[in-house]
Amino acid sequence: MMSIQTPAEGADTFPLPSRESDRGRGGENQTNSPVGADDTLLCVTTDIDTALAHSAEQDQNFASIHHATLFSRLKKILPQGALLQVKEDLAPYECDGLSAYRRIPLAVALPEDEAQVVAVMKACYEAGVPVVARGAGTGLSGGAMPHEQGLVLSLAKLKRIVRIDKYSRTAVVQPGVRNLAISEAAAPFGLYYAPDPSSQIACSIGGNVAENSGGVHCLKYGLTVHNVLRVRVVLADGDVVTLGSEALDSAGLDLLALFIGSEGLLGIATEVTVKLTPKPQFAQCILASFDDVRRAGDAVAAVIAAGIIPAGLEMMDQPATRAVEPFVKAGYDINAAAILLCESDGTKEEVGDEIARMKAVLEGCGATEIRVSQSEAERILFWAGRKAAFPAAGRVSPDYYCMDGTIPKRRLADMLIAITELEKKYGLRCMNVFHAGDGNLHPLILYDANVPGELERTEAFGAEILKLSVDFGGTITGEHGVGFEKINAMCEQFASDELRIFHGIKAAWDARGLLNPGKAVPSLHRCAEFGRMHVHGGQTAFPEIERL
Amino acid sequence: MSSTTIDEFRQQILQRQPLRIRGGGSKDFYGSVPSSMQESNLLDTRMHSGIVSYDPSELVVTVKAGTTLQALELVLATRRQFLPFEPPRFGDDLSAATIGGAVAAGLSGPRRATVGALRDFVLGLRLMDGVGRELKFGGEVMKNVAGYDVSRLMAGSMGCLGLILDVSLKVLPMPMHEATIGLALDQQPALELMNQWGGEPLPISATCWADGLLMIRLSGAEPAVRTAQQRLGGDLVEADQAAQFWASLRDGQHAFFAQTSPHATLWRLSVPSVTPPLEVGGSSLIEWGGAQRWFHSEASAEEVQTLAHRCGATATAFRYAPDRTQVFSPFAPGVLKLHQSLKHAFDPHGIFGRGRLYPEI
Amino acid sequence: MEYSGAVAFIRKSDPLMETHLADFIRDTSTGKEAEAILRTCVHCGFCTATCPTYQLLGDELDGPRGRIYLIKQVLEGETPTQKTQLHLDRCLTCRSCETTCPSGVKYARLLDIGREIVDAKVPRVGVDAALRAGMRNVLPRAGVFGTAMKLGQMVRPLLPRAIKAKVPPLTSAGPLPDTATHSRKMIALAGCVQPSMYPNINGAAARVLDRLGISMLHAGSAGCCGAVRFHLGDPEAARDDARRNIDAWWPLLEAGAEALVMTASACGVQVRDYGHLLQDDPDYQHKAARVARLTRDISEILTAESARLQAILTDLPPPDAASKQMAFHSPCTLQHGLQLRGVAEKLLTAAGFALTPIADSHLCCGSAGTYSVLQAEISQRLRDNKLAALLGPVTSSRRPRTIASANVGCISHLAGGTEVEVRHWVELIDRRLTGQV
Repeated sequence: MMSIQTPAEGADTFPLPSRESDRGRGGENQTNSPVGADDTLLCVTTDIDTALAHSAEQDQNFASIHHATLFSRLKKILPQGALLQVKEDLAPYECDGLSAYRRIPLAVALPEDEAQVVAVMKACYEAGVPVVARGAGTGLSGGAMPHEQGLVLSLAKLKRIVRIDKYSRTAVVQPGVRNLAISEAAAPFGLYYAPDPSSQIACSIGGNVAENSGGVHCLKYGLTVHNVLRVRVVLADGDVVTLGSEALDSAGLDLLALFIGSEGLLGIATEVTVKLTPKPQFAQCILASFDDVRRAGDAVAAVIAAGIIPAGLEMMDQPATRAVEPFVKAGYDINAAAILLCESDGTKEEVGDEIARMKAVLEGCGATEIRVSQSEAERILFWAGRKAAFPAAGRVSPDYYCMDGTIPKRRLADMLIAITELEKKYGLRCMNVFHAGDGNLHPLILYDANVPGELERTEAFGAEILKLSVDFGGTITGEHGVGFEKINAMCEQFASDELRIFHGIKAAWDARGLLNPGKAVPSLHRCAEFGRMHVHGGQTAFPEIERL
Repeated sequence: MSSTTIDEFRQQILQRQPLRIRGGGSKDFYGSVPSSMQESNLLDTRMHSGIVSYDPSELVVTVKAGTTLQALELVLATRRQFLPFEPPRFGDDLSAATIGGAVAAGLSGPRRATVGALRDFVLGLRLMDGVGRELKFGGEVMKNVAGYDVSRLMAGSMGCLGLILDVSLKVLPMPMHEATIGLALDQQPALELMNQWGGEPLPISATCWADGLLMIRLSGAEPAVRTAQQRLGGDLVEADQAAQFWASLRDGQHAFFAQTSPHATLWRLSVPSVTPPLEVGGSSLIEWGGAQRWFHSEASAEEVQTLAHRCGATATAFRYAPDRTQVFSPFAPGVLKLHQSLKHAFDPHGIFGRGRLYPEI
Repeated sequence: MEYSGAVAFIRKSDPLMETHLADFIRDTSTGKEAEAILRTCVHCGFCTATCPTYQLLGDELDGPRGRIYLIKQVLEGETPTQKTQLHLDRCLTCRSCETTCPSGVKYARLLDIGREIVDAKVPRVGVDAALRAGMRNVLPRAGVFGTAMKLGQMVRPLLPRAIKAKVPPLTSAGPLPDTATHSRKMIALAGCVQPSMYPNINGAAARVLDRLGISMLHAGSAGCCGAVRFHLGDPEAARDDARRNIDAWWPLLEAGAEALVMTASACGVQVRDYGHLLQDDPDYQHKAARVARLTRDISEILTAESARLQAILTDLPPPDAASKQMAFHSPCTLQHGLQLRGVAEKLLTAAGFALTPIADSHLCCGSAGTYSVLQAEISQRLRDNKLAALLGPVTSSRRPRTIASANVGCISHLAGGTEVEVRHWVELIDRRLTGQV
């Protein structure tokens, strides 16, 4: 029998006595506003406006802060051994999964519960010290790279699965819980957590929320934003708010959607409620070969146009299959110009029906070979090759640089052909693995960091791919986030007005700009500097910003 | 010419007088109506209509805000695609509702529990902020994490942040096959079944319980629908009748939604799906696998909000409220502060939809 | 090229594993090996997911990726302190991370290099130093350890619980078959700890092999495989152990013994590494390589003989429902070190035992050789977690009657924390073949 519980009393959506907004009203009248002087409708905050002006125009400098008081306070808050301060201990925290960008932080804090997180945040807020949140450190855009004058706040010790509820199909977990650990814990109930980024074995749910992580199945099952119901957030000043609810919607603006994917700039997640999905009964995968990348790209569009939403639709080009096959032995056709992996899941009947239809479409698009997995072991083997693509790059080349643009599916072949030209231009090899179903590209540029100049050529190569992604009507990042890595490319995708709104949003949550400064949203000054070398359609970008 | 229309919008905004953004007016009944609203000027979006781009193989359509839902859905239907979140159209004239209004209201129909809400399908949009700047967020691709997700923030913002100009939506292929079954059940066992089946890999696309009858819609490949139908039992509902039933739920035209007395409000509660039957002293209509509950009540707003809070739910005085000053659940102070600051970032002079969502914003 | 100007604008540093090793090590063979290993790491962090200490402590410094970083700093000339030493000490060397690593980083090898250098730079002091010296000297000597253990067993009822946990009740090897019976012969590792603590393990192995037509021999002068001294930071002494064993085994191998049988997976890992250990020794490198090549875990041997084994089992009545319930703990040295996953499990299932599914079966039980003494607190937490995963709730009707494992360290460590019987799995096969179950 189903047990129905009444949720605990005292959830904080309930009306509480209103509180003077501490830096809210300020009594400042808007001279141009129709709002009367007695009207408190607008929380016009001088603090926010000042912060906005600062952070939007210029990157902040935190160098002049005195740290001794902060450290003695943090020591009282945190358990023994949970505050790291000397370089020997700090260096291993100097980067996340993107090791090309590194900084030694001021200190690392390892709180064990939400109360300690709140206390640490309050201490840093009062000291004016930046805070960079870190989960498992598997991010690929430098989002958790430390700030030299800031604290790294590791959430790795908050790793308790608070509750799994079979009937409401939800799990309440702390931010340090690994993505895969949720699915493992839900497995006995026939449920799982759907978003499956490639790093799911190690990445934490807090990081997934910060980056709005995707995965190979998100065309059908959605991204993190579609699978998270509720988040408890510690704000920059230490206040705790709850966004979303265990119901399907909640009152007011959709702050939960705004928070998810905000890359640690708006707050620190300390508890996450995720939606669990019934495990499909059955899954099968088609492995299709094409002798031409354009035909493979067209086949992707044709599958969708036929009214099919595959559970996964991946594309790998020949360099990728040739790198993977020798060590995974997935059975890929290494003579094909490109291969597609098309997965169907659901009931046995659904899968049988869908596989037959996909097969017909792929044949019609000129596939040279089609294999359908005949067992679960074979299906897993087909995917093993795809999932091993990144590390395989690490085996065939000393270093690789992974890109993350997204483009409309109809431009997939154009992009592959353009990348081939860029390979010649930069004298570097590139292997391509695409989440083709949603147009998300992961070109892996292969290089050797010990060869002088190769890294610089690689970055220039990557920047051209990102620019092409924007030109093709797409975006510079589909799922890895902007972080530190793509901050300049943001100037390519957004004009100064949009960036100003972003800074306004930031100021609304974190008026002092302490959370993850210098990431995700570039200052207008940075874009002006960047645009100096880069002229759009005969016009200088950001003409209103004075150049140094 | 569209650019002229946009210039006109800008002219209106630059006058810095309170504005009420309106499309077909199908949701005029919805949201708060503060006393100041009468003084607001109307900004009519219907001049700004038409489909900007549509490529079925991309599963994306970009459409101007003033386009009617009916027109949009007709175009999609020619390619056997649809808006999976089934936005309600309301009103006697189903052709009035616009896509801009649908996005601003953020309401979703019967399919919401299984495919997602309107906000889940918003990929990008263009808007004009409170100082007349044209801004573009998101895009036409499924995955896009560059910058804050302003597009989804606009869904359900009730026109209080900015004027939506165009919106890009993810669309899906229409299901290959559908069937609806009906089972005679009391509320408690119906809720238990909805929750139990929700945890199983079944092709359920909508559920509704009212008046002792649980209706279940199955969507998907024909063999899968047939197997599920056998598994769940019940009586098969004739196709036309079923289509009418689900449309009436979607558009608020089901007999249950009609006004019951001049003093009764139609309440919508968004609750955790496992919440036991609510004691509301009257009949309820349940949707979304148990997660959406409707009832009429003469109880005060405070009483209903207290009940909702006890269930971890939010309550909306959806329709017929005698007093429309605060129809949505109140916030904790920290959340209210965030609303106010965000409002300021988009609309520093407080022009748009003042009080429509909350008196404070 | 529009972006060229922008690149310089990004504050950027060199890729992580572009290493700048310090003068003291750069041109040595060790330095080159370490550098090659460092260059394979792409810093993805997957290893942290399956690292027992990272999962327990949640600090980057207590996971493989962080330790690689700590070692890299030392190799680049930074002076380590006791902090680095502590984090390296906390590593169980379970090599779970190597199984997980998609890039093939040889972590354990890098750790050996790192520990050797750090221990040379950071002297051990106090209790830590005394414990290490004691274990280095006592454990590897079968005679000395045997005496100590016998004394302990006689006074076991009088010991406090903490020490009692480490001293198993006295058992015997049981009846041993005549070693001259069969023409096929294999050599057993006499070992150091195991014969005194659990003589029945090798006894059982000898009986099972005898049924399969193989005689198990002992080489009189062979002893500890060298793992204890190697992992306590005395690689030279470990090489001596290896040379002594090779000398003892060589005549038997020359006389036609076909393999070296390992009944402790930790010893198996060490002996299989002899070729690498003695690669710079011109007198022994070839012999060592041959010994390593002929080293087999007992599970590999039984799998090769499985047809014959199955033929014997088919004639036996099935085990009774209660005594067939069992939980198998795969030692790290078996599943990660020797990369033998599911092999012993398959043999047990074929022999009629019912194995309970185990959550987090990749995680270490906390024994890890001398770790249980040197890092007692972490070790005990890992053991408690492991026993909970193996046994499930006390109330369960399917609670296993026996825990089976494949390494003496794990067996004694786990046995110290539960009343449930803990055995080497080959003892259970022996019981089946001798009609005891």
